[in-house]
Amino acid sequence: MFAIEKLILWIPALPLLAALITALLGPKFLRSTCHIPAIIGIGASFLFSLLLLTEVRREQDAAPPGGFERIVTVWNWANLNDAYEHAEAAQPPRAVPLRIDVVMRIDALTSMMLCMVTSVATLVAVFAAGYMHGDRGYWRFFSYVSLFVFSMTMLVSVSNFALLFVFWEAVGVCSYLLIGFWYEKPEAAAAGKKAFLVNRVGDFGFALALFLIWTTYGTLDFHDSQSVDSIASNATAVAADDSLIAASVANPGTSGVLGKARIASGGYVGGAVGFVICALLLLGACGKSAQFPLHVWLPDAMEGPTPVSALIHAATMVTAGVYMVARCTPLFMASPDAQVLVSCVGGLTALLAGLIALTQWDLKRVLAYSTVSQLGFMFLGLGTGSLAGITAAMFHLFTHAFFKAVLFLGAGSVMHAMGNVIDMRRFGGLRRIMPITYGTFLIGSLALAGVPPLAGFWSKDAVLGAVHDKLHLYEQQIELRHAQGGGAADATTDPARAGIGGLETLTDGQLVCGIQAYGWLYYAATLTAFLTAFYTLRALLLTFHGTERVPHEAHGHAHESPASMTFPLMVLAAAACIAGLFFDQTYNASLPSGQRHSFAAFLASAPQLAAGAVGKTPALDSFHLSVAATSVLVSLAGIGLAMYLYLGDTREVRVLTSLFNLDGVVQSLDVRRVFRWRWVAALDRMARRAGLGLVATVTGYLLGAVLIVVSAPLLVAMYVSPYRLSQRKFYFDELYDWGIVRPLRGFSRLLASADRWLIDSLVNFVGAVPPAIGAVCRRMQTGLVPFYALAMLLAMLLLLASQL
Amino acid sequence: MPEASQQLFNYLIVGGLVFALGTIGFIVRRNLIVMFLCAEMMLQGVSISLVGWGRYHDRLGGQMLVLFMIAVAACEAGVALALIVMLYQKSGKLDVTFWQGVREEGRAAFVDRNVPRELDREDHWPRLTPAGIEPTLDEEAPLHRSRV
Repeated sequence: MFAIEKLILWIPALPLLAALITALLGPKFLRSTCHIPAIIGIGASFLFSLLLLTEVRREQDAAPPGGFERIVTVWNWANLNDAYEHAEAAQPPRAVPLRIDVVMRIDALTSMMLCMVTSVATLVAVFAAGYMHGDRGYWRFFSYVSLFVFSMTMLVSVSNFALLFVFWEAVGVCSYLLIGFWYEKPEAAAAGKKAFLVNRVGDFGFALALFLIWTTYGTLDFHDSQSVDSIASNATAVAADDSLIAASVANPGTSGVLGKARIASGGYVGGAVGFVICALLLLGACGKSAQFPLHVWLPDAMEGPTPVSALIHAATMVTAGVYMVARCTPLFMASPDAQVLVSCVGGLTALLAGLIALTQWDLKRVLAYSTVSQLGFMFLGLGTGSLAGITAAMFHLFTHAFFKAVLFLGAGSVMHAMGNVIDMRRFGGLRRIMPITYGTFLIGSLALAGVPPLAGFWSKDAVLGAVHDKLHLYEQQIELRHAQGGGAADATTDPARAGIGGLETLTDGQLVCGIQAYGWLYYAATLTAFLTAFYTLRALLLTFHGTERVPHEAHGHAHESPASMTFPLMVLAAAACIAGLFFDQTYNASLPSGQRHSFAAFLASAPQLAAGAVGKTPALDSFHLSVAATSVLVSLAGIGLAMYLYLGDTREVRVLTSLFNLDGVVQSLDVRRVFRWRWVAALDRMARRAGLGLVATVTGYLLGAVLIVVSAPLLVAMYVSPYRLSQRKFYFDELYDWGIVRPLRGFSRLLASADRWLIDSLVNFVGAVPPAIGAVCRRMQTGLVPFYALAMLLAMLLLLASQL
Repeated sequence: MPEASQQLFNYLIVGGLVFALGTIGFIVRRNLIVMFLCAEMMLQGVSISLVGWGRYHDRLGGQMLVLFMIAVAACEAGVALALIVMLYQKSGKLDVTFWQGVREEGRAAFVDRNVPRELDREDHWPRLTPAGIEPTLDEEAPLHRSRV
């Protein structure tokens, strides 16, 4: 047996070590071999993660019903006695110490995230060894990547909100460093800043959520801490059993926010406070995972090196928000409104990003918007608040990591061959030049589009099925209430009226609202699936099919990438092929219930998903034939449409583009055409001949004015035509620029001028007083000895006189 | 008034007068040596009053202090005169207003415009009866040695 308490420490330690080695020795000694420590460190970390995973799998079977977790206390970081007078309902106020331990946790969620992060990171590091070859900042790159992997592994394995926040920021910093890796390029520097600042908004919400959690629950730990004595001994393994839970309930000071005791006893605050906590956590997650109001940074982050885009902005860092929401499931379960909010944000983002991705010309940007869209899918799944939805979202996260990494690395391979050109209008038909890249990109695209039996199909279908189930559950609950013939007001008090799947506490209004929301979201998600299939295939066809075109930046030797780049592509493509089929066997009715979806069953052993309100909800266990059929049909329709439009002649594309660009409206607004109409001109000539030239002119002007007033909405429509909206990303950047950046800049200019004129002049005035006094006094400095003598005498006389 | 007090009174009047004369001389005169002499006079004024007080209390402490002061004043005179000699050697002048270097930068130097013009006549010096051998003056050598 491996000591998993040791393993969990080695997993982040190795990348950190690699980062230090690369940073210290890289520029002088390692030079072009900087990738070796990084690959070894991250790769070993991946192997350890796999070991950890198998150990967790082995041990979770023997775990008590509350789920399996193991807590490893590394050291005590901060300890403030009596930091806060904490009052919880029905308990006397008591002083709570602010105690922050560096605590790692081992459970299903963590081990799965660790495997996902380190596996993708290893392959990306191998890819980058080829892609970044010859870059001036070679050592810097691998140092940052290792540091990033360290931060991310710590993020998913710490067991404390404060530390989660620390590493939340750490991955943000690494992301900033890597986006702005080519900092001499102004766009890259600006994109790094933008990502950092937009993330600050989310982190602000996250920090507020932490404060609120602290004041509400009196602790920041996830886990139930034992008494102080046992914590003092390092590396304490907590073997959870029922007696501990009982002890923790008796002494709630030691029960963590997401600990087993609290989950078992259901001690979560709902209502307004619960909703605000969840909404603020969601804001934080939105920042990191690029969801609707804060999604603007991710597409710009494509300025970074492509391996970074694959690693951070497709596979790992952006999933931090999803992980955090999944980890905080018990908190979200306490606030159904917040769950609807999560779903709505996710669904809206998915649709919005899908629409934007339709018209982008930049290959990496299409992929970036598709990432945003798929993350929206994950949030949609998380927001259903059922075990099925949450595990489906995590499953989608897992499969998405592989096929999105394939797509991004494939795009990197294309960029590598095309001399850093990424505009899809400038190249095409590359499938003969780069067969391996083409094959892997094709697999990734089909997986993303949701074609069975590739990975994307299973996970997307699981999310859609979960939303569908949730909708169904709400409807059932409403029917149940109607059958019982009463409102929900006394449903909580009457056990006979208990509803289904933890919905009994909802009011009728919430149910109706939820039905509406989830109904719309289901349709939005289905539409997004169609859009996803379309734009993915569009990118694929524009890049690899059609006539062979190579930009002159490639210098005429466009070629397939070296083995170090194609090997990760092939591995990831293979993973994208089998990851779904391997874990998801919900179609196989012969397996016993609870084992059909081995991934979901594995995840469900995490304490946050095993017990409490979420445990009562349906698990991911059944295959929705109708949902799957719809999504497959929709995907195939999208693929078919893309193939029809982009294979061969692109006449239809031009027609569609001009249609969606409202070109007809533009033409109809051309006033000069009116004069080309013969009878108008004739009428004009007749009027002039009859000596009514003035009348004709005035009438013409009046008619023109009327025309402008009438067509004003059309003019607006011209500027916000559907095509333009999509092409210009729904004007979000302009909106934020005019709505936030410019007012803020104006405000800061005002403050700067106030500082310059008001504060500075005050300070300058104070500074001017001593020179003014000095200017008077300096006249006395004559340098004449008799004068000094006289002054001395007079001063002496003055002193004497004052003594008298 | 008892005789002892009368005697002290006289001492103090004389000492005060000497001190006041010295003060006034120190302030109004510009010749370095004269100023130095005036300062010495102020010191002597104080000495006289000390001696007076010593007599009045019938103790020797005052006189002892005066002796001590004389010794210190001798030293001080040595230092001060040496300084004056050095200054004189640098500039050839004994006028204290010549040394205004410590005045505020940018401030115009004090120039005394009321210096009485020297008389051209040679015969205003008193004529003494010649005695001994008149030294022959070297025409080349300046009247005083000026060196930095």
